[in-house]
Amino acid sequence: MTSQTNDDGTIDGWETSADATDWTIDELMIARLSSCLVDGDQACNGMASFIPVSAFDLARHTHAPELVWLAGALGLEPRPTKVPASTLEAPLWRDAVMYFEQYGDFWNYALNGRWLQKFCVGAAQLDKFGNANNSVIGGTYHAPKVRLPGTAGLGDMGSIGKQLYYWNSNHNPRALVDTVDFVSCAGYLGGGDERSELGLEGGPELVITNLAVLDFEPETKHLRIESVHPGVSVDDVQAATGFELLLPDGDVPQTAVPTQVQVERIRAFDPDDMRKREFRSR
Amino acid sequence: MQDKLTTLEAAVRDHVQNGDIVALQNMATQAAPMATVREIIRQEKRDLGLVVLVGGIAVDWLAAAGCLDRLIGAAVSMEQFGLCQRYRAAVESQQIRVEELSETALNSRLGAGARNLPFLPTKGLIGTDLIDVADSLIMMDDPFGGTPVVACRRLDPDVALVHVHRADRYGNCQLEPTAQWPDLGIMPKAAKKVIVTAEEIVDTDVLRRNPDRTVLPGFIVSAVVEVPYGAHPTSFNPNYGYDSKMHLDWVTAARDDDATEKFLQDHVYGPADQAAYLDSAGGADRLISVIGWEK
Repeated sequence: MTSQTNDDGTIDGWETSADATDWTIDELMIARLSSCLVDGDQACNGMASFIPVSAFDLARHTHAPELVWLAGALGLEPRPTKVPASTLEAPLWRDAVMYFEQYGDFWNYALNGRWLQKFCVGAAQLDKFGNANNSVIGGTYHAPKVRLPGTAGLGDMGSIGKQLYYWNSNHNPRALVDTVDFVSCAGYLGGGDERSELGLEGGPELVITNLAVLDFEPETKHLRIESVHPGVSVDDVQAATGFELLLPDGDVPQTAVPTQVQVERIRAFDPDDMRKREFRSR
Repeated sequence: MQDKLTTLEAAVRDHVQNGDIVALQNMATQAAPMATVREIIRQEKRDLGLVVLVGGIAVDWLAAAGCLDRLIGAAVSMEQFGLCQRYRAAVESQQIRVEELSETALNSRLGAGARNLPFLPTKGLIGTDLIDVADSLIMMDDPFGGTPVVACRRLDPDVALVHVHRADRYGNCQLEPTAQWPDLGIMPKAAKKVIVTAEEIVDTDVLRRNPDRTVLPGFIVSAVVEVPYGAHPTSFNPNYGYDSKMHLDWVTAARDDDATEKFLQDHVYGPADQAAYLDSAGGADRLISVIGWEK
């Protein structure tokens, strides 16, 4: 089936498309992340960000045709032919309208609070108050058991009023921990008002994993289950988490499955299945 | 204008000293001045402090060869090829001390160096543990009454290593229309010396045709060397992509001490010049395979 495109670049019939029956977990995560992005947002991606770039593309072809994409934080409104093996290399920003220079352009737009207000991130460790660690695990900072890649731009994004959307394709107790070994990106720190008392705005909004969607309870800023994916129980999610998650009032909802149009678009944009690479085979 | 054209051997001998702070153009798999990195390893430079925004395979080779004792940077990763395992092992065994900074903190440190300021502030990193472990970062009140900021102490690298598409013999550097390497905007301006490698050395008249493509003035450059494929095995858009095979060969070799030593012998210590190095990497077949990678 060949899809028709509307004048605004959206896929004809996306609003009324039926649920897909052959969706996969990566596609469900992409569709959920995509729903967080709206017209008027500017979105950028970093390295190894296959779920985010697919979510941006999907949003632009469905509910958010005016979403602006800054590929690799430096290629504005590109037209890649497909998702390449790297999300921080030139094939991703093919046919860009403008190149952003990191020092002179990108950070000036990102820091001032008016633009690029949402940021999608992965972290080796994320704790119950949304603090993230990409620096060191175990030991001490200067004598760590494991040296991780480093904070890159994440340590900035956590403190400058951005809304952070975390994704994790391997929800497990070593990734979702009670307290991070080291804070390389500020979340809600010790919970409650601690973040705002430090003068920090924004913060983590949502955590989308291969098992569930987690949000933050507004008073305590503690992670809470928003929905569980089809076929996953609350007990499954709890068993894969290194601390006790809060539960929503009433029944725990099931995450919406992607539609046929969504699944078709995700597969068309990523024919080589780059988005599946980060999922550990079970 | 002063003639800066020289050889890699002389450039590294004259402008990189043991203990220096060396700023390296690089992203995970992009645009590293790899020929200069190999020459530093061959000359057995020691106790270097490496400055990277996001370092890749160059960091791992330098770590494996024992050239580094500290690193100042925002991240070290080869993205799809994984973490730099030799670098990681050297940090975990405390042979390399890491000063991890966010991108704006590194930009601020280098920006202060370039502008001859004691520090520049950022609002990144507030609330993180990184401020506590970096001697170069201090929380301070906004003297104008706003919320606190992070003062980032100036950083003046002894030498910056860059690779460009073309340069003249005076060190004026041009890039093809392409996304600029993210660290070229500030690193060479903060450094006391700059070593340039260029895909080609051209007559200054060639630069005059497109002065908008000139990104660095020759007067800040100490040495300029012609090195075709000088960024290999990292990418150098739009000329060539990263060499997946060499990255994968390195990842395999890095798991084992003997294999690491053999890899460095085959590709770094052994080859007498750039042509011999490219032969060691697979020669013409490999080079053809990395051209036209965007298609």
